[in-house]
Amino acid sequence: MAKVTFEKVVKKYGNVLAVDDLNLELEDGKFTVLVGPSGCGKTTTLRMIAGLEDVTSGIISIDKLDVTSLEPKDRDISMVFQNYALYAHLTVAENIIFPLLARGGKRVEAQGRLQEVAKMLNISHLLERKPKELSGGQQQRVAIGRAIARAPKVFLFDEPLSNLDAKLRVEMRTELLRLQRQLKTTTVYVTHDQEEAMTLSDVMIVMKDGKILQKGSPIDIYEYPNDTFVASFVGSPRMNLISGLCDRGLFTSESGIKSIVKNIGPKKTVLGIRPEEILLVPAVEADFMATIEIVELLGPRAIVTLQVASEHLTAIVNTSDMGSIQEGLEVGVKFRKDRTHLFDEKTQVRL
Amino acid sequence: MRKRESSWGILSKLIITFSFIIVAAPLLWVLLASFKTGSDLNDPTLVTFTPTSENWKKVFSSGIFQSAGRSAFVGVITVAISIVLGSMGAYSISRYKTGKSLTRFGILAAQVLPPAVLVFPFLDLAYRLRLSDTLVAVIAAHLSFVLPVVTWFLIGFFDAAPKEVEEQALVDGLDRFAAFRKVVLPQVAPGMGAAAIFGFVLSWNDLFYALILAPGNAATLPVRIAGFNTFRGVELGAMCAAILVSVVPVLIASFFIQRRLVRGISGGAVKF
Repeated sequence: MAKVTFEKVVKKYGNVLAVDDLNLELEDGKFTVLVGPSGCGKTTTLRMIAGLEDVTSGIISIDKLDVTSLEPKDRDISMVFQNYALYAHLTVAENIIFPLLARGGKRVEAQGRLQEVAKMLNISHLLERKPKELSGGQQQRVAIGRAIARAPKVFLFDEPLSNLDAKLRVEMRTELLRLQRQLKTTTVYVTHDQEEAMTLSDVMIVMKDGKILQKGSPIDIYEYPNDTFVASFVGSPRMNLISGLCDRGLFTSESGIKSIVKNIGPKKTVLGIRPEEILLVPAVEADFMATIEIVELLGPRAIVTLQVASEHLTAIVNTSDMGSIQEGLEVGVKFRKDRTHLFDEKTQVRL
Repeated sequence: MRKRESSWGILSKLIITFSFIIVAAPLLWVLLASFKTGSDLNDPTLVTFTPTSENWKKVFSSGIFQSAGRSAFVGVITVAISIVLGSMGAYSISRYKTGKSLTRFGILAAQVLPPAVLVFPFLDLAYRLRLSDTLVAVIAAHLSFVLPVVTWFLIGFFDAAPKEVEEQALVDGLDRFAAFRKVVLPQVAPGMGAAAIFGFVLSWNDLFYALILAPGNAATLPVRIAGFNTFRGVELGAMCAAILVSVVPVLIASFFIQRRLVRGISGGAVKF
C-alpha cells in the first residue's frame, strides 16, 4: 500500500511529447483510473510507474521512495497487461507463483498462497492447465491471480478488460472492484472506455495530449466537466454541445435553440446539456420546438434524436413517459433548470 | 469461375508432380547405381540388372562412419555455438534494433560473399594457429555461414514473440537476462529447433571448407565422398552408396523441419 507521486515528469519519444510536465499524486489504497483517447499518454504514464519506460525528466516515487531509475523488479509493483501476457510454457499454477519464485520465494510457501488466490478467483480447477487451454475470461483471471499473488505496493492495469466480450467485461469489472476493496491496494488502471472509468474509479483522471485535463471523483467529472473535451468524452450518449450567444442569462443558438442560463455575457459560448437533462414538454412550457428524427428503444429508456433546423440533439427519455412520441412529430423542448454547462467558445473552458 | 479454379488446381498439381520427379529422379538413380557393378554403370539408363553389394562393402570399409561421426560432431558444435550466440544476437536485433538496418543488411551481405574469398584466409589462419586438418578449423569456418543464417532465421521468431510477456517477467521480479532465459527463449523454442536443424544441414552438407581446411585425417563426410573421385577415375558405384549415407539423415531432418521452416519463412522477416 503506497502513494504514487509524479513530480514534473516529462516523457519524449524523439521530438514527440508523450507526457508533458505531469504533477500528480495517486492516493494510498485508492482505485485511480487514467482515461483518455488513444495517444493521450495514459499508457505511457502507467508504464513509467512500472519502470518499463524511461522518464525523460522528473521524479516518480512510490511510497516516498524515488523509483525513477529503479528496475521494474525493484519497484514492488505488479501489472496486468491487455493481452494477459501469460507464460505460455508454464501451467496456470506456475504462472501464478512465478512472481513469488522469481523473488526467491520457496515453492512450498508459494503453494499456500496459490491455493488462496485460486480460491479467491475461482480458478482452483484450472491450476494444472496451460494458458492456451483456457478461455479469454479464465486467462484474465489467471493474469489477475498472478498480480495479486504477491502483496505489492501498487497494482497496475493496462486495459485488462478490452479483449473480453461485453458481458464478461461487465462481470470482471465487478470482480476487480470487489478484489480491490478487499485488498485495499493502491491501484492504477488505464482504459479508453469512459464507462469502465466511471464505474471502477475512486479517482478518475482524464488525459489528452500528454496532459491531465481533469482529476476528480467520477461524479464530479460527470457533473462539472472542466472543458468541452471532458464534457463530451465522459458520459454515453455524449453531452450535447451547442454553439451560440449568451446574453444576460439567455442562450440562443443560430438554429433557434434557447435556454435560460447563468447571467453571463454578451459572449460567444458553447452550451452543454446531458441527454438525460433534455425534457420533452407541451408546446406552452417549451423553450423551443424540435422535430423528432429518430427513436432508439433501449428497453426502459429510449434515445431520441431531435432536429432543430440544422442542429441535432440527443435526448434520453423514459419509455414510460414517451406517450405519443413518434418519429416525425414536432415537440416542445426544454433544458432542465441549472443543468446546463457553459463553455467559452474560444478556449473551450468552463465558464 | 469454378471451372477456372479447378483447372488451376490441375495445373498446380502437374507442376508439383513435375518438380517432384525432377528432384526425386536423381536420387532414385543414385540408389540404383549404388547396387550396380562397374560394367552395369556404363549404361546410365539401365533399370533391370543383377544387384551387387560390392559398392556398399567398399564404402562401409572405407571409414565412412568415422567421417559421418566427424560431420555430426562438427554440425552439433557449430549449431550449439550458433544457437547460443545467434539467439542473443537475434533478440538484440529484434528488440533493440541494434545497429538499425545496417546489421540486418550486413548479415545478408555476408552470405553473398563467395566461400572462395574466405577459405584461403581461413587456411592461412588455421596454418598459423597450427589448426590445419583439425575439426576446430572446420567448425570455425562453418560458423561463418551457419551463425548468420541461424541469427537471421531467429529474428523473425523474436519479432513474433509478444513483448508484454517479457515485460511481465521484468515486473514479476526478473532481471533482463533472467527474463530472456526463462520467458523469452521458451517462446521461440520451436524456432530455435528449426534453426538448429537447418544450421546442422548446412554444416553437414559443406564440402568446400572442409575439403580445403581438413582434407586428411579429419575428413568429414562430404570430403570422404569426394574421395571416391580417385586418380584412377570416379568410383561411381561406391560414391553413390556414400552419397546415400549422407543424404538419408538430411532427408529425415528435412521431414521434421519442413513445416516449421515454411511457417518461419511465411511468418515474415525470415528470408534467405
